[in-house]
Amino acid sequence: MGKYIGQPVKRNEDPRLLTGQALFVDDVDLPGMLHATFLRSDYAHARIISIDTSAAKAMPGVVAVYTAADMGDFWHPSPMIVQPPPTLEDIVFNARPQIPMAKDKVRHIGDPVAVVIAESRYIAEDAAEQIWVEYEPLDAVTDLEKALEPDSALLYEELGTNLASHVQQEKGNYAEAAANADLVIKRRIIIDRGAAAAMENRGIVVNWDAKSQQMTMWNTTQAPIPIRNGIAATLGLSEHQVRVIAPFVGGGFGPKIMLWQPEEVLLPWASMKLNRPIKWIEDRRENFMGTTQERGQIHDVEAAFTKDGKILGLKDVFLHDTGAYNPYGLTVPLNTQTHSMGTYDVPNLYTEFKVVFTNKMIVTPVRGAGRPQGIFVVERMMDLAAKELGLDPVEIRRRNLIPADAFPVNQQIIGQDFIETIYDSGNFQPLLEKAKKMIGYDQFVTEEQPKLRAEGRHVGIGLVTFVESTGVGPYEGARITVESSGKVNLVTGVGTQGQSHFTSFAQIAAEALGVDVRDVEVTTGDTAQFHWGTGTFASRGAVVAGNAINAAAQRVRAKILAKASEVLEAPEEELELENGVVRVADMPEKSLTLGKLAMLANPLRGAVEPGTEPGLEASEYFGPKYGTTASGVVAMIVEVDPDTMMIDIPKFVIAHDCGTVINPMVVEGQIHGGVSLGVGNSYYEQIIYDENGQLLNASFMDYLIPRSTDMPHEFEIAHQETKSPLNPMGSKGVGEAGAIPIPSLFAQALENALNIDGLEILEMPLSPSKLFSLVQAARSRD
Amino acid sequence: MKLSGEFIFDGNQNEVWELLRDPDALAKALPGTQSLEKTGENEYTGKMHVRVGPVSGVFAGKLTISDEVPPESYTMQVDGRGAPGFVKGTGSIKLTAQDGGKTLMQYTGDVQVGGRIAGVGQRLIDSVSKSMVRQGLETLNMALKAKHAPPPPTPQAAAEQPPAFTPPSEMEFALGVAKDMLADVLSPENKRVWELIAAVLVSFALGYLFGSKRRVG
Repeated sequence: MGKYIGQPVKRNEDPRLLTGQALFVDDVDLPGMLHATFLRSDYAHARIISIDTSAAKAMPGVVAVYTAADMGDFWHPSPMIVQPPPTLEDIVFNARPQIPMAKDKVRHIGDPVAVVIAESRYIAEDAAEQIWVEYEPLDAVTDLEKALEPDSALLYEELGTNLASHVQQEKGNYAEAAANADLVIKRRIIIDRGAAAAMENRGIVVNWDAKSQQMTMWNTTQAPIPIRNGIAATLGLSEHQVRVIAPFVGGGFGPKIMLWQPEEVLLPWASMKLNRPIKWIEDRRENFMGTTQERGQIHDVEAAFTKDGKILGLKDVFLHDTGAYNPYGLTVPLNTQTHSMGTYDVPNLYTEFKVVFTNKMIVTPVRGAGRPQGIFVVERMMDLAAKELGLDPVEIRRRNLIPADAFPVNQQIIGQDFIETIYDSGNFQPLLEKAKKMIGYDQFVTEEQPKLRAEGRHVGIGLVTFVESTGVGPYEGARITVESSGKVNLVTGVGTQGQSHFTSFAQIAAEALGVDVRDVEVTTGDTAQFHWGTGTFASRGAVVAGNAINAAAQRVRAKILAKASEVLEAPEEELELENGVVRVADMPEKSLTLGKLAMLANPLRGAVEPGTEPGLEASEYFGPKYGTTASGVVAMIVEVDPDTMMIDIPKFVIAHDCGTVINPMVVEGQIHGGVSLGVGNSYYEQIIYDENGQLLNASFMDYLIPRSTDMPHEFEIAHQETKSPLNPMGSKGVGEAGAIPIPSLFAQALENALNIDGLEILEMPLSPSKLFSLVQAARSRD
Repeated sequence: MKLSGEFIFDGNQNEVWELLRDPDALAKALPGTQSLEKTGENEYTGKMHVRVGPVSGVFAGKLTISDEVPPESYTMQVDGRGAPGFVKGTGSIKLTAQDGGKTLMQYTGDVQVGGRIAGVGQRLIDSVSKSMVRQGLETLNMALKAKHAPPPPTPQAAAEQPPAFTPPSEMEFALGVAKDMLADVLSPENKRVWELIAAVLVSFALGYLFGSKRRVG
């Protein structure tokens, strides 16, 4: 632990956020700004016969109405955002990226068919209602299994199938393992969709300024640099003519990593055509239909165990719902595959998935990104085996954890980073023991629970483990400058959606440069400030950008020491940096402020040595060889009201390991947020489509997100630091950790609370009424 | 989406059939109906204002009738669209004479609802539709009973009596919906969905029998 690294430093960004001085996209208000509204399909699957925009165009205040036909040659399918790993052999992959606007066919509720640009949002919305689209409705494809039957309607007739992809991977030989097993368990597991439901919906303000030949876009994106590059390429501009700013953003959670979405393609084009700034702010219903979602999968799982509870192998064959297009490649189902062994030593794994096109919103990563499904599969199998074998759920886990001396462990399954997944480091046993102790497992099971049951109360306990692949490449960069004020300017390409980057990144620089953390001014997500990088996703900001910042800070430190050594006439090793001052260690009167040194390093007259660079500044990049694996164990106590099936969580604990903790308070905030999504994914949040592909709960009246009162009353976090060998800081990501294990934890704890023979929770999300039905079904089977 | 239901009218089968052909009674039975026009032998177009919770707006619809067997039954197809979304489906109505000069109406349908009304109004569709069906049919029955009521004995008595049949206003109708919804909240069984469609279907179905071109409301 350093002066700053590892300390719960209060957030630099909070004064601005709490006093309303933080810029969000909707705060941008430009002279002459127009407003856009998208007309979106009410049909899940239909052919477009004709579109009549004349009435809309005739309305006062309407500036333009565009359909696909108006786009001419500019209309073409967008590039794929993520390609399937070239290392995967013998796979099927039918690429169907997004298109800027539906042309011949709509393929999901919310598919944009026209955009109205008007003097106000009110006018734009009224005009959109005046557009008449003649549709020929087609049968909707909504059921993953029926979608692959030969008589199914097809989203893409030219493919002759709704199969988007087919991938098989194997480690060892599952069939052999199963033949030698004492116990083979087979189950079907169904996981449905949820929304990311960020507090701030998507939004764009874009301005083409013809006189300066510059385009500026404010965008709620997680990936400002790729968006800038994409816009420049599609509009035929130089990358330096386009500036994308991702200002403060109210939550990303995955969908805002998307590129080349219809709104992002159309609005810059329209701004250029009209030579006016345009604003579009997504509304909540639009967010349900127009922003990507996740999680829908159906798994047929088999697990083979010895009678001692040692897992010999796992077979997981699953269908993955990608929705109407598949621009994000295979990231989500590959994450499911690479996480389906969890923290356990699983010697044999057969894993196969088929990705299916359906007439629903596109599926791309949402916080967790396929990992919760993989963890759910293996954790449920552990629970089922424990029941069959009469073992305690904690004990069966203890017997199967990967031992600490086994790392690095090659799991032999190719993942989203294109190579075989390797668990770089970990130490799972102490996490298990820690969580077990924190929740008071033994005491609860032997003393409290019998008493509670005798009182007729349904209080249960659960404990599950998880891994999280984090911090994937390719790279991020940072530039650090000591300014003549003595303050430090830090810029990086990743955007910020609430991850406390203005603090944790500042801590890394402050640690290296010996300055106050409040004197490090961080800029993220502005391509005019830094234009190399990929974005904020896969729990990688602190790992990849963090290590780039550390590298840049170390180089600036070296420059400071070299220059100060020259000015102070003392060897570098006798110098120390503290409180914004560089000084000779045992002669404190021989010192210089960093500001003064910065001025000396950037002289106005005179000569500098050849080969030197001006100023105290450095840019550095960091790219890990592969992703680093974080891990954790969660446990909770839950009480169920058997009449209403409403639940209460008196206590929740997590022992987690994300390597070097930069700021424990920030890490805890990430875990709180992740767990809140996990609670939603387990018991409240489900997007419901009917068999015609109609979205039935597109509002917060009907789509339930957990409230503060639905969160655990007591929430305890323990940090363990097993440093990653893959980066100099030893850090691992934690952004998705909280969300990943919660559904499996709910399943185990609810079964334990209700204590009914034959009650098996094999689906997520649950809800009070679904749990009620499961209980009724289990009772009637008795 | 399947739906079905039945209702007993206090009148004989021919009277009910005639009532279903009475444009005034029909239009008044379903406030919100803005127009209904005959556009072909068995084709009608109409407009109806519908409110389901936070979603409201005008549906413009087309209705096609087939398999008509007076005074017993017919089948219809409805295709309505508007800013709130769309409704598309088929339905049929069958009348059967009952003892005591009463008539049983049975209706069945298979309908899709889409767009905003499905996405945002979902939670309320059940209650609103049930209520619309109930109120619509009861209003028709009131009209029927009013026809049966004996004429007032003297002009004075006639003046003192309330009008024989006063259809509900759109406001009264909405209040009726609210009342039914409250009752729904209090009632333990409330699982039948999509009866809004029943209401729309019934309204168009009834509307078809106007036979003549007219505007209402």
